[in-house]
Amino acid sequence: MIAGYPPEFIIGLLILLVGTVAAAFPRPKTYLTQLINLEIPGWGLLLVMLSYDEALALFTFGAVSVLSTFIYVRVMQKMEVCA
Amino acid sequence: MIAIYICAGIAVYAAIRIIAEHNTMRKLPFLNVVSFAVTGIIALLMPHPITIAAAAAYFVGSTLESNAIASTWSGGIKKDG
Amino acid sequence: MDEFIMIACSGLVLIGMTAAILHRDPFDKLISLSILIAGIFPFIVDRGYLDVAAATALIAPLSTIFILMVCRRETA
Repeated sequence: MIAGYPPEFIIGLLILLVGTVAAAFPRPKTYLTQLINLEIPGWGLLLVMLSYDEALALFTFGAVSVLSTFIYVRVMQKMEVCA
Repeated sequence: MIAIYICAGIAVYAAIRIIAEHNTMRKLPFLNVVSFAVTGIIALLMPHPITIAAAAAYFVGSTLESNAIASTWSGGIKKDG
Repeated sequence: MDEFIMIACSGLVLIGMTAAILHRDPFDKLISLSILIAGIFPFIVDRGYLDVAAATALIAPLSTIFILMVCRRETA
């Protein structure tokens, strides 16, 4: 308990903020770095959802996160073929 | 109660060894050490019989992930196929 | 959850996040991301969501394997 909040809420918000900044401004400015940095705030959002006791939201978010990663990978492969 | 403390200490020590290591291939055994220690933490954390199923699922998933990273880094599949 | 276990898992998450942001090689970033995921699972189990933890542990490596499909093509 830190200031009345559970610890996973504090850590989740910290990961969400820092990971969003890192995903917005990736250092080697490539699509692959941006996609890997985009995974970090996803896990922070999962920790914030965990502190609000939403089990069905955790299930749905995990499945949809993997599905969107697969779609981004397909888009990147098609862009490499076209370029 | 001392076993879970030892698992947590091993996990943090292996994570520090991973970020101190510069060669990518020598990071992968310590990644396995982190996975095993976290599996021990999950199995010892709650006195509930289904906990061992969650620990086994995490063990299978993390081993698959680190082996996939090692296999792709050594570059075996693309050159063979 | 005990205080020492909570501090250790928080340290694992923060180490993984910092290393995943600061590294430049994609494989180093994926290894650091794996440390971050390893630190998150004790929090899920401590809340009592054992089914969520098992399902997430089996789904999460698929995301890494999908990213590795792109990594192989750029480094080779």
